[in-house]
Amino acid sequence: MNVGLPHFLTVSAVLFALGLFAVMSRRNTVAILMGVELMLNAANLNFVAFSRYVQRGIDGQLMAAFVIVLAAAEAAVALAIVLALYRNYGTVHADTAQSLKR
Amino acid sequence: MELLHVKIPSWGDLQWWLPEAVLCCTFLLALLGDMLARGRRPVVAFAISVAGLLAAGALAIADTHAVAPAGGRAIMGDLMVVDGMAIFFRLLFVFGGLATVLFAWTSEEIMGHRRENKGEFFALTVLMTVAMMVMAEARNVLMLYLAMEGVGLTSYVMAGYMRTSLRSTEASLKYVIFGAVSSAIMLYGLSLLYGMTGSLQFSGIRAVLLGGGAEPFGILVAVVLILAGMSYKIAAVPFHFWCPDVYEGAPTPVAALFSVGPKAAGFALMIRFFYTTFAVGTNAAASNSLIQVINWPLLVSVISAVTMTFGNLVALRQTNVKRMLAYSSIAHVGYLLMGFVLLSEMGLAAILFYLLVYTLMNLGAFFFVVAVNNHLKSEQLEDYKGLGYRMPWAGVMMVVFLGSLTGVPPFAGFVGKLYLFTAVMDRQWFWLVIIAGLNSVISLYYYFRVARVMWLVRPDEGHDSPLRLSWLQYTVLACLAVPTLVLGLYFGAFKDLADAGIRTMAGG
Amino acid sequence: MIRDLVFVLLALLTVVPAFWVVFSRNIVHAGFALLFTLVGVAGFYGFLGADFLAVTQLMVYVGGVLVLVLFTVMMTHVPAVGRRRHGLDRLVPPAVFAAAVFGVLYKVITVVKWNVGEASTSPTTAEIGTQLMTNYVFPFEYVSIVLLAAMVGAAILIRERSHAGSDDAIAEEKQEARP
Repeated sequence: MNVGLPHFLTVSAVLFALGLFAVMSRRNTVAILMGVELMLNAANLNFVAFSRYVQRGIDGQLMAAFVIVLAAAEAAVALAIVLALYRNYGTVHADTAQSLKR
Repeated sequence: MELLHVKIPSWGDLQWWLPEAVLCCTFLLALLGDMLARGRRPVVAFAISVAGLLAAGALAIADTHAVAPAGGRAIMGDLMVVDGMAIFFRLLFVFGGLATVLFAWTSEEIMGHRRENKGEFFALTVLMTVAMMVMAEARNVLMLYLAMEGVGLTSYVMAGYMRTSLRSTEASLKYVIFGAVSSAIMLYGLSLLYGMTGSLQFSGIRAVLLGGGAEPFGILVAVVLILAGMSYKIAAVPFHFWCPDVYEGAPTPVAALFSVGPKAAGFALMIRFFYTTFAVGTNAAASNSLIQVINWPLLVSVISAVTMTFGNLVALRQTNVKRMLAYSSIAHVGYLLMGFVLLSEMGLAAILFYLLVYTLMNLGAFFFVVAVNNHLKSEQLEDYKGLGYRMPWAGVMMVVFLGSLTGVPPFAGFVGKLYLFTAVMDRQWFWLVIIAGLNSVISLYYYFRVARVMWLVRPDEGHDSPLRLSWLQYTVLACLAVPTLVLGLYFGAFKDLADAGIRTMAGG
Repeated sequence: MIRDLVFVLLALLTVVPAFWVVFSRNIVHAGFALLFTLVGVAGFYGFLGADFLAVTQLMVYVGGVLVLVLFTVMMTHVPAVGRRRHGLDRLVPPAVFAAAVFGVLYKVITVVKWNVGEASTSPTTAEIGTQLMTNYVFPFEYVSIVLLAAMVGAAILIRERSHAGSDDAIAEEKQEARP
């Protein structure tokens, strides 16, 4: 089969689609965030593969490194918010927090 | 180890980035000051933030003369550029940040005696201002992403600032989830674009696209994914769900900043990204102009029409003033997108000018809600009965803001809308203009319903005592209301600034 | 041949647990499945010669983000009482949409003529270090400030309440929420 760029891209597309599915189908906020992590990893895999095969530089790898860092920060803030919501309301479900819905 | 193409950003670059550098220091100093005051004297962080924002504003104004005529100046190893557009948005964001900090100081929602972390609030507002400025300056995919995440991370926290309040926490949860998802979608689109062009630099992407080396279908998919992520930032349909809930749940001064800051920054980013990578230097004959590859005008005009119609129709039914303003801000995004349809210099300059006007009038309307909320603890329209008689000066200014939001002469909103309409009319997109005109008529109804309740209905017995505003509130409101009036009659200088902004960007 | 085999193993390590993450009804299981996916992606980075990223992925994602996620899962454990089985109506439209997205992306992968060269596989850690201190020194500094803001923000959101009275505020809000 001779592994090449398309194979990496396919794996990444699968991860992206799965992440999207998780985001749309899950109610638990933490599970939604896991879906987001899948999507971010898919994009990162793309960046690294392209940086190796297409650009043959390391811009893509640097991009991926920054994305990893910011994803960690985003996860920290998001999970802090989830904990704050849990303290106030005792739920982590996106659609049972109803006070905003009319 | 060989070192190729190393361009070390020199300290000299920093002199073109002074306003932002000052604000970064302000952020750190405000945190430090708050820490030394053990969080008990928010006035320390407040004073540092105000001083920093004023200094940054002064530096930004000084830069206007230094940089704008010379065109764009690439800084920090070509990752960012300071050109006329960047300077325009710098001024806009510093103004918005300063107005928000000042008004937040008077807001019960932020400064009420039960609240905590007051000092950090001001520090975060300052940092958000920096991140928005970087959004307007980025000319590299990496900086684009970093700037958007910077704005996102600070705004998630600010939306949840009232952490003992359920509504605020929920608003911030909605914001962070939608934000994380949309930025992941955008990132995937950017990765595809990088793969097709082999460059993270906007100019490098453009060079490859001009060379005709890219497959239209691939570009289409990448552009749609990227547009989805950016539509979230500006809250265009169908990525608007979060907007009303977040604005309603977040503290009102924060909602005010959200309704103008990140939106304007999102537009700045979209203009620079789509215009410099896909439009400049490609005439109609070039096969890879974005307008050729995908039916860009149709795509954007449909988004624009749907966004403004949706925003206005739902705003009609709202009984909560803050929520109504949230939907109206969605409608305004629809108007703004009109300037984006043709990716012409004329349209983009109209967007810049309208963003200026919109910042003034929308901040003003939200701040009025803050002032009322301080006294009445309510945002319901029914509680606004006779407010005009209880706080006449503020009431008059609110009418100015509402009139300008509707877009009737002689207010600035009218001039702004006129420019947007002409930009589309220029190339015979009459149906869009007609829809936008109808929408303005719809919006007349719900904006003036507020004015009517305030002035034409007498306050209830026992609820007619005059409400006092502080001098700071009057000052900030006046600083927003007077330009809203003046810009409606005398707009030449600012229109020139907007035009020059787009011209220098196109040239650079 | 060996490369193919390694690739297939890594792909299985990445994708199979990813399905589990998405479909598992037990959130703790999903978290542990995510562990394997993240390790698999780190393996891909190593496979592509991005040694620095592979290690970063393990340290930041597996060591940091995942631990954070699992902690949150455990600290916010929601009793199973209110948990409903997923209805098909809740699963089918997202599944169709996600499949369509995958189809489009797959078409992009096959249609676009990628400008592929011979992949270089030399280590990149030194080069990344050099770049971070030269060309990319600005984003490096900028990110440090944004991270500080995120840290402060996360602390603001979950710091223990320092004075009483705030709980009354919650009680008030809850009253408001249930008219």
